Parts: sequence; C-alpha cells; structure tokens
Amino acid sequence: MKKRIVLRALLGALGTVMLSAPSFAATYDLTVDYVEIDTGTMKTRGIGYNGSSPGPTLRFKEGEEVVINVTNNLEEATSIHWHGLILPYQMDGVPGISFPGIEPGETFTYRIPVSQSGTYWFHSHSGFQEPDGAYGSIIIEPQKREPFKFDREYVVVLKDKHPHSGERILRNLKMMPDYYNRNQRSLGDFIMDVRKNGLGATLSERADWGAMRMMPTDIEDVQGFVGLINGMSPDQNWTGLFHPEERVRLRFINASAMTYFDVRIPGLEMTVVQADGNNVQPVKVDEFRIAVAETYDVIVQPKDDKAYAIMAESMGRSGYGFGTLAPHEGMRAEMPELRKEAPLLTMADMGMNHRDMGHGDMGSGETGKGDMAGMDHGAAPSGNSAMGNAAMDHGSAGSMPGMDHSGMAGMDHSNMAGMDHSAMAMGNRADPFYAAGSGLTPKAANGGKFLSYADLKAQKPLYADRPATREIELRLTGNMERYSWSINGVKYEDAEPIRLKYGERVRFKFVNETMMSHPMHLHGMWSILDTGQGKWNPVKHTININPGTTVYSETEVDEPGQWAFHCHLSYHMATGMFRKVVVEGGPAVATLKNGN
Amino acid sequence: MPSFKKSLIRHIATSTVLLSTLAGMQAPAFAGAGHSGGHGGASTDIGMPGQLSDVRRTIRIVMEDNFFDQEKIIVRAGETVRFMIENKGEFVHEFNIGTAAMHADHQKEMFMMMEHGALEADKINMAMMEMDMGNGMTMKHDDPNSVLLEPGQSAEVIWTFPKDTELEFACNVPGHYESGMMGKIRLQ
Repeated sequence: MKKRIVLRALLGALGTVMLSAPSFAATYDLTVDYVEIDTGTMKTRGIGYNGSSPGPTLRFKEGEEVVINVTNNLEEATSIHWHGLILPYQMDGVPGISFPGIEPGETFTYRIPVSQSGTYWFHSHSGFQEPDGAYGSIIIEPQKREPFKFDREYVVVLKDKHPHSGERILRNLKMMPDYYNRNQRSLGDFIMDVRKNGLGATLSERADWGAMRMMPTDIEDVQGFVGLINGMSPDQNWTGLFHPEERVRLRFINASAMTYFDVRIPGLEMTVVQADGNNVQPVKVDEFRIAVAETYDVIVQPKDDKAYAIMAESMGRSGYGFGTLAPHEGMRAEMPELRKEAPLLTMADMGMNHRDMGHGDMGSGETGKGDMAGMDHGAAPSGNSAMGNAAMDHGSAGSMPGMDHSGMAGMDHSNMAGMDHSAMAMGNRADPFYAAGSGLTPKAANGGKFLSYADLKAQKPLYADRPATREIELRLTGNMERYSWSINGVKYEDAEPIRLKYGERVRFKFVNETMMSHPMHLHGMWSILDTGQGKWNPVKHTININPGTTVYSETEVDEPGQWAFHCHLSYHMATGMFRKVVVEGGPAVATLKNGN
Repeated sequence: MPSFKKSLIRHIATSTVLLSTLAGMQAPAFAGAGHSGGHGGASTDIGMPGQLSDVRRTIRIVMEDNFFDQEKIIVRAGETVRFMIENKGEFVHEFNIGTAAMHADHQKEMFMMMEHGALEADKINMAMMEMDMGNGMTMKHDDPNSVLLEPGQSAEVIWTFPKDTELEFACNVPGHYESGMMGKIRLQ
C-alpha cells in the first residue's frame, strides 16, 4: 500500500483533509474494511476504505491511466463504482452488470484511462455498504488551466449517517413505510385544518393524500440521521483553514444514502463553477440544494479574520451537517439558527396543482405569493402550451403526467421587451424545476439567490448540440404503502433492459409520478440536462427530478457495453427503481482485464 | 450587430476609449456604471482618459475564459498607459479599471444586463443595451475606463492613472470577477 494514501487516510480521520500535497501516482491500493464510525454521540460498526470512513481522496490526473488494486477484507462480496467516471464498462464496478463483484479475500485490479477532470466520488455498489460508510472522493486534475482561480481547496463530503445499518433500515421501511417519519400529521393537525379550511376541504385534501398512499411530510423517507462533513458530525466540527482574501474552492459531494442538503455559508457568497465534475459558467448564489450523488464546486472568498459556518440542512429539515471555515486552528463558527419548520408537500407535488393557474394572473408582478409561487415571467409565453391545466383529472393521480416544465426552463431573452421589471427581484424567479406551488421549492435563508438547475450553463459544451434520434419515456413510479419503487411501474427484477444503439442520441423523458425527488444516475455516459439553453445545456451524471415535474436529459450513446441506470436513493434503488442499459453495436469491447 | 475590423477600432480609439461594439454612442447614459460618477464614489480619483501623445508604454492584455493573462499591473503614479486588449476566449469579457467597490457596483449592473438578455455568454445584444431599464437608464456600456469585448475582438484603452488609489482591473461579467478574472494595479 502506498504510504501517501495511508497518510491521507489518517489525515482524513483527523479531519484535516487538506489537499495541498497532490499525489499523481498511477497506482493506488485500497482495502475494504470493517471500521468503527464515531460521530461523538454514537459509535457504530460500518464499512470503510483503508481503515476509515470516509475513505481517502484519490487524486488522478487527466490523461493518465490509473491502476487501483482493491482488496476485500470483508466477510461478504464488495465492489467499487467510480461515480461519474467515463470508463470501460468492465471497470464500472456494478456486480451483475459490469463484473461479478469482489469476493472476500480477493483483490480486483481496476484500470481506468482518465479522460476527464473535476470532482467525483467512489462508493460500493454492493448491498448497503455505501450507506454503511463505503464512500470516498476523487479529484481529477485537468490538463489545461481551469476557467477559475483558487488559492486552496477542500473536499466537503456530505453524508447522512444513520445509527441503523442499511439492511435494518430497509427492513423497517418494508414493514412500515413511515417508520422513520417523525412528523406525521395528528388528529390535532386535522382539527386545526378544519378550523382553518373547513371540514369539506380538509376531508377532501386528506382523501387525496390517502389515494396517493403518501403524506405531506414524506419528504425524507429516512429521518433520525446525523449529517457528517468529511466524516465529522456537527459536534466534531470539521474545519478548513484559510487566510483572509484567499479564494477557497470547496468541492461539495453528497455521498448520502437518502438525504438532499441545502448548503449555505452565512456571510459568504458562493460562486458555483462546476456541477457533477463539469465546468459551468460561474454563477453566484447564497445557497444551493445538492441532491444525492451530485457534486458542486464553489469558490468563496472570505475576507474577514473570523470563522464562517458551512451549514447543510437537510431538505426535510430533519437533520443537518455543520463545519467551519476558519482563519486559525481550533475555531468553531457560530451555528446559524436552524430552520425548524419542515416543508410540507403540497397538491402540486402530486402533479395536481393546476386549478389556479389561469394565465391571466401571470405577469401581475405578485411573485412568491400563495399558490403561484412566482411564475417565471420570462418564460410564461413559452410555458402556456405545455400546461394543459383545465383538463387535469384530479381523480387519477396515479397516471397523472404532471406538469411539463421543460418549456419553462428556457428563457427566451430575445423576447423580453414587455417584462415587468418591478417583479424581477434579482435572482428571485421561481425555480422551473419544481412544480408551481410545490412545497419543496427552496428559498435562501437570507432571502437571496438559491441555485436552480436553470442557472447551470456549460462552460465549454462537451458535445455539439443536435436533435435527439429518439425519446424514451421513464415514468418514476412507486407504491409508498409497500415501500416499492419502480420505473414505468415495473421493478428491476421484472424489467427488460433498456437497449440503446451506439452512436445515437437518446432523449430521456423523466416523468415523476411519485411525491419524492429522485436523483437518476446513468452510469458510463453523460446526461445532458435540458434546461432549454441549447448548446449551453449542462452535462451531468445525476439528474434530480422533483415531484410533479417532467425533466428531459439527452445522452450521446458513445460507450459500448452494459450499464446501470437508477435512482441513487439507496432504498429506492434496492427496491426496484433501477434498469440495466445495454448499448448495442460500437467498437468491440476488450475482454475483461484485471489482476486476477 | 455592428462589427468593426480591428484596424478601424484602433483608429477610432486614439483619443479616449473605445468600445468596439458601441462606437458612436457618446452619451454617458449609465452614470453609475462603476466609476467616479456615481454610487458614492464621487470623491475617488481613479484617473482619467489619456492622450495618445502622453503614452510612453503599452501593456498588452489577453482575455481568456475566464481569466486575464496577467495577475497584476504595475504602473507609475500619474503615468499614461495604452492598454491593448484582446479577447482570445469564447465568451464576452470586460476590461475595467476601478476600485473594488466600483467593480462590485458594476457587477450588479452587468448581472442585470445578463438577466435582461442584453448580454449573453458569448455575445452582446446591442439593441437591448439601449433599452430603457424602467429607471431612466440604459445598459449602454460606453465608459472610458472600460471595454466590453465579444470573442475575437480587440480594443485599446488609454488611461492616465492617479497618484495613489487602490485600483483593480477586472472583468465584471457575472461570475468572472469571483472566479478570479481580476488583478491589482500597483501604482509606484
């Protein structure tokens, strides 16, 4: 084993993940071990790499070939998936699709020609090893100068560490899908709502929720976790040092099993420069939401000689991660006040909220008010046709296509002459990637700018823009009552693979018919997220689709072999929201080469 | 959109400024556009447009995506410098001389330009730049201390520096300054 890796693992365990000593070693050795995970308030047995969870930060260089020897010290089979890396499919690390897996005591040698740069991560693709701690980060240095400057950098890995093992969590969810839902609505809530809204409205609303087998508090399936930053709980206070005036690059990775985080650093604006490893045109935000498996790189420039809080509240507000950026060792930032009020899902998140969306109301300048939740004024003209509102049948929630927001994403700037400027508070347009009136629509804690997918524009488009050759519809489906999740109503074990042809450009239409957000991850090939910006559409490896919305992404089918395609929420993936993708044709795939 | 050849631009540029795409618009319509005219910076002496005859030195600056090829510029107090600026990137970039506070103000304006579509990542929409923003101002970008260049364009700025002000050169296209597309100007 390389000394440097051991050293870094140790440093990681100590919480000083300073990345100042880059290693361009082409060979890495990783062991997969049972480890103790200590959050200060609980100690659990988990799984890690090189003796710790999270595992080390692997630092590759674009253009080199890396060789990674992975030795399984567990009593069960394991695997490592290199999340977001473009590589030969046999190196992708999905048991049953890429390779058979790594048996106990076995060493598997991964060989990866590194053809990209940016922030990525790796994790086990076996059982619930990833929720149990088997994850680490990857930094790939680019060959060319990056379109931004920074003086130092830190990886900031977020994790929802739960006291229960992944296996136990799924067992409990199967037994009782709301096992981990602390905020169930009570009889008291019912009486309050009757007082406020009247009995009829309250009963009808409750009936709608019942028909969906969902509750408005079903934002997070699995509550009761502690948020970790680089393996450290809020009490343990992970700290990154800086000198005032320095530009600090923070490489955020959400390695959580189930939890989205809303990330902010009170007192600092964050300039987002990368999403899922790909450079984006820099966009300044006060806060951003990171879906499970996504990465965002931001640059901050703390000017004062004081401690700044890195605050990562979970989307459902049931937990949070916390760390500090500090000018000196031993400082702890003041913790900002937690936003206690948990968001509630609304009828819009069922794909039902079409009743009040008369277009005559739009452009009235009343953004951020009630049901309208601030329609995107600029996009209103192009959005009309996509919102067939009047015809919506509230009784058929199960088959409801949901609003088509794709038409709203693209702001046609050439056509804005008649805009109401007073309504255009800077950066406060409604996010077109949430259903209008959605309870999940994020708001920045300081009232400022919250990042939207619509803000992401590729810095340098990876692919020429061209029309897709065909469209494949993927309805994201599930039955909350039985805690089973599926695509087009069919679970993985009952489904045929999705067959793609090498050389085609396929357009995926994700229709979220559930009331949860799903981060869909296609392995091996990029997903070009359609934000309506043509050649500037950003390239990602994980696409989040919110309840009641339809989102499109396109993929240039340029890698042969077979790949996994799934929701990255661990327990959704495990219960069936998963597909195998087979790419037919293309260059002959070399036979599996490894050290065995 | 008007398009000028480099030689023509240089010719026009001999006196004060030149903003290739805005040639011919003389009125300083956006008085607060990040210099001494507005935003409480009235007392700050950032220098003034210089005369070609006073130029003793030319500094070449190349714009890339998203950085300048130079991290800082050193000039003598009171010196008149000719900057020859070339945009070799694929995005629109600005070269602007001012204080950090002026740049911060100007970034808000540039953000609005982008929000309103007057400025796109790789092009400038001239017609929109002249539109009234609803507050009596337009987004015309014709200040003598700055140039806004589309990919492939070049321009000159002749500037007489003050005696002792803390100045920066910067690109205030949204996100670029924060990404490090700026540098200090040291007056000696």
